[in-house]
Amino acid sequence: MGPYLLRRGAGMLVSCVLVITITFLLMELIPGDPAAVLLGPDATPEQVDALRASWGLDRPGIVRYGFYIRNILRGELGRSVFLDQPVLKMIGERAETSLLLGLLSLLVVVGLGVSAGITAALRPRTWTDSALLFVALLGASLPSFWLGLMLMIAFAGRLHWFPSSGFSSIFGAGGLANLRNLVLPALSLGFVNAALVARTSRSSMLDVLQAEYVTTARAKGLAENVVIAKHALRNAAIPILTVVSFTFASLVSGAVVTENVFALPGVGSLIVQSVLKRDYPTIQGVMLAVAIFYVLVNFATDMLYAFLDPRIRYR
Amino acid sequence: MTLLRSMFRRKATTFALVLLILLLLIAAVSPWVVPYPAGALELSHRLLSPRSVHPFGTDHFGRDILSRTLIGSRITFLLGISISLFALFFGVPIGIVSGYYDRVGLVVMRLIDALMAFPAIILALAFMAIFGRPGILNVIIALGLVWTPQMIRVVYSSTLSIREAGYIEAARAIGTGPVQILLHHVAPNLLSPVIVQATFSFALSILGAAALDFLGVGIPPTIPSWGTMMNEGRMYVVRAPWIILFPGIFLALTVLSFNLLGDALRDRLDPRLRRLL
Repeated sequence: MGPYLLRRGAGMLVSCVLVITITFLLMELIPGDPAAVLLGPDATPEQVDALRASWGLDRPGIVRYGFYIRNILRGELGRSVFLDQPVLKMIGERAETSLLLGLLSLLVVVGLGVSAGITAALRPRTWTDSALLFVALLGASLPSFWLGLMLMIAFAGRLHWFPSSGFSSIFGAGGLANLRNLVLPALSLGFVNAALVARTSRSSMLDVLQAEYVTTARAKGLAENVVIAKHALRNAAIPILTVVSFTFASLVSGAVVTENVFALPGVGSLIVQSVLKRDYPTIQGVMLAVAIFYVLVNFATDMLYAFLDPRIRYR
Repeated sequence: MTLLRSMFRRKATTFALVLLILLLLIAAVSPWVVPYPAGALELSHRLLSPRSVHPFGTDHFGRDILSRTLIGSRITFLLGISISLFALFFGVPIGIVSGYYDRVGLVVMRLIDALMAFPAIILALAFMAIFGRPGILNVIIALGLVWTPQMIRVVYSSTLSIREAGYIEAARAIGTGPVQILLHHVAPNLLSPVIVQATFSFALSILGAAALDFLGVGIPPTIPSWGTMMNEGRMYVVRAPWIILFPGIFLALTVLSFNLLGDALRDRLDPRLRRLL
């Protein structure tokens, strides 16, 4: 495990450096002078120069890149221009919403995706199989914000079962009951993301069911549900797990539109607000945080994968 | 032709092809057949529910939802096609060269991996922020840049396996130059994976473009698009759900037809998958 961990760890560090470089370069691409853009046409040249100096824009690019990396190592992701707060603090305050939404959506994804995939695999090329595959594909074709709005109309607007928007911390007033606010967002986000998991579960299960050890298990006279649960499912689990953790990373970070629909105070809605206000330091900070999160989840998945399947470590 | 005929044999694919032809037809003729011009305001007809004169209802300006939905298909197809072409134009050459030359591949793939750590919608939002204003061309470039890495990846991994083939070695042995090999021996074999990937990037592109419009950072709101219509309809989601309902159904059907088509193409063109699907 040791050498594998070292090799993957080094790869992860390289990815982090590249991600940092990309976020730096992206903001260098902004045409014109961001300080002048921000201050508007009424600003005096002295004001613009002062702001440029405070951002370090009067220095050469390579020096700014050095400063950028130094600040990140110190845990500073810059300061929001509009809210005048450290970006990292704003992300921290909003991380709970995004993480909880990601976890709840993941429950929906796993519940729907894995069960649909296994059901389909046990009855390949039947009516059930095609129907489930079609529903999965339909789910992947729905815009998540549209599904969210439809659920909102039905379950919040008409039936009043769930609140239509907003969310406050489960550690504050209301406690765990606040999770009710995340039910509709998680359903809409989970449903559209379940397709990939359903298909992977199906093909992985189909592969395993054709393996010789499954035939052997059946030949020994084991009950079919024992064969499926103990012999097939365990071996089919690894590819499924990979897709699930990959989906988790994209659920947490990609919930941008869903958070916007349900007015959830998450990281996704922060970046939308920042884009609308051209709050470049916040955009840059959020992008970096989200991408690093993705790299870390990927790394953790690889480690889990290697732990579950010893063959991986020796490749 | 055999490809088309065999695809029509599957019910789901027939459904997708018929749907797609219908939608394309709508996009082509809509300006001449819709009952009202897309921008026609009729303030006395605000927020009318669906009825015979307005089969899909009207919005908060009294504009006819049916007309706007049908005309909105034009910008959807325009964006989908342009973004996929963008990804093809840049993705295929970069992918081939990275797949054929190990050193280039090593660098490019590292970069692609890092780029793919950014969720598509966040990367697209960042590009829109950099460009500074809504616009059709800006959306095409932003989403094109987002989906190009996936195209590069597909072309790269296909090239990796193609270059090991016996006929490539034979070509090299008789002294064919690398440019000739890439153009005449590698590129033609990339056709199937590239077509499949382009179909899926079309579906993803129009979903992405609709999301940008919905968030208010896509194309200018003066151009009727499904995403913009849904964005404007949010304020009236309970009072007038039809403003959102119909553009969403059209968007979902368009994406679905491309996804079904992509699946069918992949099954036909990649025999290894046929066993599983």
